[in-house]
Amino acid sequence: MKADNQKIRNIGISAHIDSGKTTLTERILFYTKRIHAIHDVKGKDGVGATMDSMELEKERGITIASAATYCEWKGYEVNIIDTPGHVDFTIEVERSLRVLDGAILVLCAVGGVQSQSITVDRQMKRYKVPCIAFINKCDRSGANPFRVIGQLKSKLGHNAVAMQIPIGLENDVQGVVDLVAMKALYFDGENGEIVREAEIPAHLLDEAKAKREEMVDAASIFSDELTEAILNETEITSEMIYAALRKGSLQREITPVFMGSAYKNKAVQPMLDGVTHLLPCPSDIENVAINMDNNEETVALNNDPEKPVVALVFKLEDGQYGQLTYIRVYQGTLAKGSTIVNVRTGKKVKVGRVVRMHAEQMEDVEQLNAGYIGALFGIECSSGDTFTSPEVNLTMLSMFVPKPVISLAIVPKDNKSQLAMAKALNRFAKEDPTFKTFVDHETGDTIIEGMGELHLDIYVERMRREYGADVTTGNPRVAYRETITQRADFNYTHKKQTGGSGQFGRVAGFLEPLADAEFVFENKIFGGSIPSQYITACEKGFKQSMAKGPKLEFPVTGVKVVINDGASHAVDSSDMAFQAAARGAFKEAYLRAKPVVHEPIMKVVVETPSEFQGAVMGLLNQRRGMIIGSQDEDVMCVIEAQVPLAEMFGFSTILRSATQGKAQFTMEFALYRQVPQSIAEKIALDVAQNKKSAA
Amino acid sequence: MLSISVALKREKNVIHLTHKDIIMIKKEMIYRNPLVNLGYDSEDILPVGGFGAVMAHAGVGKTALLVQLALNMMLRQNSVLHVSLNDAVSKVDLWYQEIFRDIASKFGIDEVNHYGEKIQPYRFIMTFKVEGFSTPRLEERLTDLMEQNIFKPHTMIIDGFKFDDAGRGQLMQLKELAVKYAMRLWFTVHTHRHEPPQENGMPLSFLHVEDLFDVIVQMETRGEEVFIKAVKGKSDPSAKNDLLLDPATMLIKNGN
Repeated sequence: MKADNQKIRNIGISAHIDSGKTTLTERILFYTKRIHAIHDVKGKDGVGATMDSMELEKERGITIASAATYCEWKGYEVNIIDTPGHVDFTIEVERSLRVLDGAILVLCAVGGVQSQSITVDRQMKRYKVPCIAFINKCDRSGANPFRVIGQLKSKLGHNAVAMQIPIGLENDVQGVVDLVAMKALYFDGENGEIVREAEIPAHLLDEAKAKREEMVDAASIFSDELTEAILNETEITSEMIYAALRKGSLQREITPVFMGSAYKNKAVQPMLDGVTHLLPCPSDIENVAINMDNNEETVALNNDPEKPVVALVFKLEDGQYGQLTYIRVYQGTLAKGSTIVNVRTGKKVKVGRVVRMHAEQMEDVEQLNAGYIGALFGIECSSGDTFTSPEVNLTMLSMFVPKPVISLAIVPKDNKSQLAMAKALNRFAKEDPTFKTFVDHETGDTIIEGMGELHLDIYVERMRREYGADVTTGNPRVAYRETITQRADFNYTHKKQTGGSGQFGRVAGFLEPLADAEFVFENKIFGGSIPSQYITACEKGFKQSMAKGPKLEFPVTGVKVVINDGASHAVDSSDMAFQAAARGAFKEAYLRAKPVVHEPIMKVVVETPSEFQGAVMGLLNQRRGMIIGSQDEDVMCVIEAQVPLAEMFGFSTILRSATQGKAQFTMEFALYRQVPQSIAEKIALDVAQNKKSAA
Repeated sequence: MLSISVALKREKNVIHLTHKDIIMIKKEMIYRNPLVNLGYDSEDILPVGGFGAVMAHAGVGKTALLVQLALNMMLRQNSVLHVSLNDAVSKVDLWYQEIFRDIASKFGIDEVNHYGEKIQPYRFIMTFKVEGFSTPRLEERLTDLMEQNIFKPHTMIIDGFKFDDAGRGQLMQLKELAVKYAMRLWFTVHTHRHEPPQENGMPLSFLHVEDLFDVIVQMETRGEEVFIKAVKGKSDPSAKNDLLLDPATMLIKNGN
């Protein structure tokens, strides 16, 4: 394995559905000699493309979960990493994008910048991932790469510059003119594997010169050397141009655009050259970790292989040999036989097999250096876990995991589905810390919990597709909570005499609201009116009451219980009696403490073309949303609001229809806030009705 | 209507934020409000359609002062539209949270976050890129809000307006807008260190529009301290000419 980090590229390929992401990846693997035959996505030969490793993907011709894989190009090692196609799981998106250093944005020469291109571009912008663009499908009828470059500028705000011009389009696609070397490139051989350089065809020379001038001009902003060469009219070398463009790309100030047709085997290799010339190597990117020993301060990581190991688990896969853990090393060297610590659990593990992945095949290696991506065997962990050397306590991702805000009951259709569902749920819970599952003891239903409607929808769909678990789902339920707003005293005696030894316990004290904790119990009894051995029973009793509020049976939070008096009986008092007394006391005081219902409020960020701004604000307003503000960004506009989760069901459909499908939104949990009176009454009515129907 | 029964914890004893406490915060904010102390009367300081300006070099605290002014309005249940041409919505929001927290902590009440949340609906943040900002665009956004009854501003703050580049025409348009929608407008005016003030204390780049402003105050640092002084429009000539500010809250410090 090469130790030179300058020659590694960890990239993602992001694209709109059907713009040829899988075909392009397949060609990259072929030209880098990782595979020896090309299979079409919708393979007539029954094999299917290499990156589509799941049956369903091969069948449908789409990529559901592409594997991480690596290849070599002209001495550079290129790791191609799976990029998520959805924006809604904040944790998962963050995790995946952290692993990338750069990306290829694939666009269709006919379709241009489509809605999903906008989504993936925003993801890259948000996580500051430098990118180059590849305009694919130049062989299709209606292909116009320069129109797409125009859209890159106008719709995505990229400073896009063409690195090539096409030689022939549509049926006549022959090759490209490389504007840096000023050569025509043709792709000969059965699969276009032989790149033949030639003089630029005479009819394209003027256009090539003009486009080169544009490109050099755009690049000169990033290089004094290049500017000087232009002004002094001295020779402009390819190195100068690449150096300037690379600088601009790394700052995300310029987007070099390549073009071709992966399907027709045209111009994929020059784009790979572009990856090596223009996208960052791991040490170009500053990665930070959170120091758990120092007040969660951020620490810059160093690519030095001698430093303590810091590595992030970004994907888990179930293979025939057990769990395969995909990992990226950010600092130090992860070697076979070394000991590493899972920062989340504190557990030490010994590194067994270390492998490099190529779709479904693997290759054993001795170690992974900083900047490298590989996989480990036999390591028990979850996605997003950080592994470090025992001497440091750093984590790549925040350890804060928000509590789920929405739940859904799922019922398997048959026994087979039940088993598959259990397996799937176990896997998902490991992959995603915001996804939880449990069995409701009252109804016997399996409940899944997560961070939003779509979050759960996707898991249900994955359960069906990947695990064959046929499940039906109930209506989503919002995780309401109850809390109290004022102090209330209690003095409750639990007394039962039904033959044999009786039960007796009296507790007195008060409940009061608590702002910053869920539950606090304070014992202020002096003089032993409740014997000390029963105090724990009292605490337990109060705690049990918190699980289900007496008002609407939602979990209760933010309550402080103080007991200051009580009584016991030498014979009849017991743990059970005091637990019952505490529960009775809680019930007695609770309703007098003016309980209220709190609901989860989501931070909703809608990105919409400016012309729909008013309509979107109206939609948010109708949903009891409080709009924090709006941000005008040229043609687009970002609206930030806080909206109750209960009002957000079906929002994506409504938003789509109100904005011709041009707006998108992300949603994450923000806080719990008191439900307005009118809504609280409605919730109470619903709860009562549910109770009735359950009975 | 603001609810005033917010439960709060003070030290170890739980107390309830009563009507009295809210009145106290409001009173303190008015009592320590630098503009009132500089001799600007009336609660709103500006008349309907009026312009106010806070002038200072970069980094002295123009935005902070206007945020404090906005919080004052919001506590009195007057809506404030904060237009920023520099910062993102989240950053402006953070300004409000920080300054409100600082003000509250000065009064010895640590946990008035609930109250901060309650007054939040009286604020709307709008951000534009400087080059994308124009009065017609602002009016378009404003009508979006007003027509749907989402927000009707009593006062508007424009932070980061480029007086150097803007002609008198754009300010005239904004004046018309302010009158049309019965708003008061506050601006931050960035003065340059290399630009010596004119005879009347105004920077050259501001002179062409100075007459459009009803109130102008200037902030300056002297050593570690921040002072504010009235430049134009004060109604009580006997009031002090300059005051020492607490840089965290932009309220006046004790002993002024």
